[in-house]
Amino acid sequence: MSIEILTLLFFGSLLFFLLLGLPLAFVLGGVSVIFLYFTWGFDSFYMVASQIWGTMGSFTLVAIPLFVFMAMVLERTGVAKDLYRMMHLWFGGLRGGLAIGTLVICAVFAAMVGISGAAVVAMGTIALPSMLERGYDRKMALGVINTGGGWGILIPPSILMILYALITGVSVGQMFAAGIMPGVLLMVLTVTYILVRSTLQPHLAPALPPEERGTWPEKLRALRAVLLPIGVVFMVLGSIIGGITTPTEAAAMGVLGSLISAAVYRQLKWSILQEAAIRTFKLTGMIMWILFAAHAFSAAYQSMGAQDLIEGMMQHIPGGPWGIIIAMMVIIFFLAMVLDPVGIMLITLPVFMPIVKSLGFDPVWFGILFVINMEIGYKTPPFGFNLFYLKGVVPPDITMKDIYTSVVPFVIIEIVAIGIIMVFPEIATWLPGVFF
Amino acid sequence: QETFTWRVQSHWPGASSSYTDSLVRLQRVLDERTDGRLKLKLYEAGALFKAQDTFNAVSRGILEMGTISPSYAQDKISLAGIASGLPFAFRNVWEAEYFHQGMGFEQMLRDEAAEHDVYWATDKVYPTEMVVKKPIKNWEDFTSLKIRSSGVLQKFLTEAGAAASYIPGSELYSALDSGIVDGAHWGAAQGAASMALYEVAKYHVQPALNIAGTDVIIVSMKALNKLPEDMQEIVKDALDEQFWVRTNEYLYKERITLAKVIAEQGVQVNVLPDEVQDKLVKAAQAMWDEEGERSENAKKALDMLKGYLAELGYL
Amino acid sequence: MSVLTAFIRGVTRLNDFVGRWIALLVFAMFAFLLLEVGFRYLLNAPTVWTNELTQMLFGVYAVMSGGYIMAHRGHVNVDLLHSQLSPRNQAFMDIVTSLIFFIFTLALLWFGIDIASESISNWETSYSAWNPPVWPVKLAIPVGTGLLVLQGLAKLLEDIAIAFNLDYYRPDHSASEGEQS
Ligand code: NA
Ligand code: NA
Repeated sequence: MSIEILTLLFFGSLLFFLLLGLPLAFVLGGVSVIFLYFTWGFDSFYMVASQIWGTMGSFTLVAIPLFVFMAMVLERTGVAKDLYRMMHLWFGGLRGGLAIGTLVICAVFAAMVGISGAAVVAMGTIALPSMLERGYDRKMALGVINTGGGWGILIPPSILMILYALITGVSVGQMFAAGIMPGVLLMVLTVTYILVRSTLQPHLAPALPPEERGTWPEKLRALRAVLLPIGVVFMVLGSIIGGITTPTEAAAMGVLGSLISAAVYRQLKWSILQEAAIRTFKLTGMIMWILFAAHAFSAAYQSMGAQDLIEGMMQHIPGGPWGIIIAMMVIIFFLAMVLDPVGIMLITLPVFMPIVKSLGFDPVWFGILFVINMEIGYKTPPFGFNLFYLKGVVPPDITMKDIYTSVVPFVIIEIVAIGIIMVFPEIATWLPGVFF
Repeated sequence: QETFTWRVQSHWPGASSSYTDSLVRLQRVLDERTDGRLKLKLYEAGALFKAQDTFNAVSRGILEMGTISPSYAQDKISLAGIASGLPFAFRNVWEAEYFHQGMGFEQMLRDEAAEHDVYWATDKVYPTEMVVKKPIKNWEDFTSLKIRSSGVLQKFLTEAGAAASYIPGSELYSALDSGIVDGAHWGAAQGAASMALYEVAKYHVQPALNIAGTDVIIVSMKALNKLPEDMQEIVKDALDEQFWVRTNEYLYKERITLAKVIAEQGVQVNVLPDEVQDKLVKAAQAMWDEEGERSENAKKALDMLKGYLAELGYL
Repeated sequence: MSVLTAFIRGVTRLNDFVGRWIALLVFAMFAFLLLEVGFRYLLNAPTVWTNELTQMLFGVYAVMSGGYIMAHRGHVNVDLLHSQLSPRNQAFMDIVTSLIFFIFTLALLWFGIDIASESISNWETSYSAWNPPVWPVKLAIPVGTGLLVLQGLAKLLEDIAIAFNLDYYRPDHSASEGEQS
């Protein structure tokens, strides 16, 4: 059977069983096993087990439970709540103020973690209830968390950029430097969108009524709420930048910071810690079982000849150098609907990179486009991993449909960002040029 | 005429020079010499199996071919520790070549692997060398180092007095950059360059920590025996030839890579002072005997190695 | 109480018990990473064992979570179509899709046992500088998958009861035992 037909069947059955309501992890795993059986035979299931063993041994993932635990403690002890109260008192008069505040926290979070997932789950726990309580539109709140939570792979440190550098041979430092301005661009675009949208439709992100905006003494007192979160951020970022810890170990500093905060709030109780640990276990386990199955799925797809498909497609692209780059982005966009970033890298980059280089494009610049495209992939239905991570933390009355539809404007914003960076490559290439 | 397609799982990422120079070369050679009857389908590191599972997958015949580091087969091959390289044993690459091919160490490995239905062929022997952020000028400098290491060398460096820790490859660059570690080894010059380590660590340390057959091509005996006899011979001959071609080519590329980073990135070669070298050799020799205790075969190989090094005047 | 009811409750309790203990591993991972930072930064003496031990604990933590999460309906799915159906039709649908679930988990169980027994047969160690045994972590794959399979069976029995109106399982009765966190 040709790889084209296999691909259709493979992704078609994925979509089918997902719509029937089977959890994502089991759909990915089950479909992989069935297709492996027909293309390779029974023994190939060893591959599924091997991929799971490999995922269990990925050290950088250890950061997930720690960052999630940190968020759970900050939420349960009231630290996060006070932070949002402070933001509301200060920026409550501004329409969309809380959403913008959430995005700022997301950006700071992104500078602390090198992966997606942890941030989405953490912000879904901390920020979502606060925004919903204050009358924010559900889709606005969900979309903001989904988009901001994905910035972790664009703003350094970023495991994805390191992998890209490893596979393509570009400099890690240049990739990190190149990600900063596009990260700022994304922030500016997203904040602008929220300001415009909430001005046009105030009910989506309401401002606080003037009588509730608080007096100056109240505002100043509320400022104390920032001290602890800033302390936590300082511990994490300080230990990464100061050369005290690796990004993964820095997650432990975050936990330490959250425990200190809990102590300051006199909430350092076993009952709270235990509950945080159990919620962390559920969320981390959910992410990990999706990753287990997603890695098996990527491996199965590769064993069926995914790379031949990409090679075949690249031979039929018209439209000159820019046509090729755009076609690559489209291919990545579609693959990112269903595969994990590492799998996409292994399938596409060996085919794409020689072409990108021979066309005279800067591989660092292409890497930034690639990473933003991965961020989009994390939140495009039907298989955006961020969507599923978020679904894992939201209250039961929020459906998958709410989450799916919430991302549309934010996906468009990121596509616009890719377009802008294509037209003005300097946004990505200028900083690395300054540093290196 | 029947054609065969073999799945080959590499332990190199696609951008690694060895992926092209070793695997793509082998793919081309086998295609030419079998008149297209044997095709290799190549997969990058981790694409199908976790690198450490490749030996098992080939042994079970799920994969027809793979590349590994001997350390991934430690639990099956008692000689793997010696094959991965005892620290400070050989001083030149040709000595390790002769040990493998002239003195029969390669055959010993091949015999052990055959018990697991695997045909073992060392891809090349090459040095493992460190890069550090500050030059090592005396023993003090060495013992104050924090080094990213792995496997048997991590143990060696720790026992020799440095502080060696394991950091995964994906975090190595950041760790060196921010000073969590002051040094690391990832192959030698080509490996360090591929990981961009020279951006953040400017001193290339010589001599090598070890010289060994650290890259191995393994073939499933089941798959090999399915080939007609003439093709089996072609595969075996190509693998034998590969060892010499690749070892030589690798050395050449090491030198030009080093020359390039010296010229373009301001890298300096840091030759360890005699005092440091002597102490490291002593620490290393204390460790060798542990490897000999793994099996009868390992003891035999270690005795052979010691005799050989004595003959060379090193012991 | 029929055997089936006992089985469903027993499996759920077992997963609950295991999950509540495994969840505490997050404290151990935190402590070991912090310890490593302390040893390296304050004493300039990184250990050979903390990162590897943390890694191993994480592997166990992750793979052992499957059954517990299933017991608490924590594996996310797409509810677009599903939420429109009556409970009985949902149960019918879940019976059909459980086939995919079992294909995946049983394949994983089979090869998980294979990997673990091979590892145990030669008391496999990691051959790192620390060189700890890795077989306990590999053993966690079939154990964790086995717990997941059991919970999947329990869910299948529940779905069959709901779909065909059998009286060994009444969702109303056990609802109070379900969500605890
Ligand atoms: Na980041
Ligand atoms: Na997606």
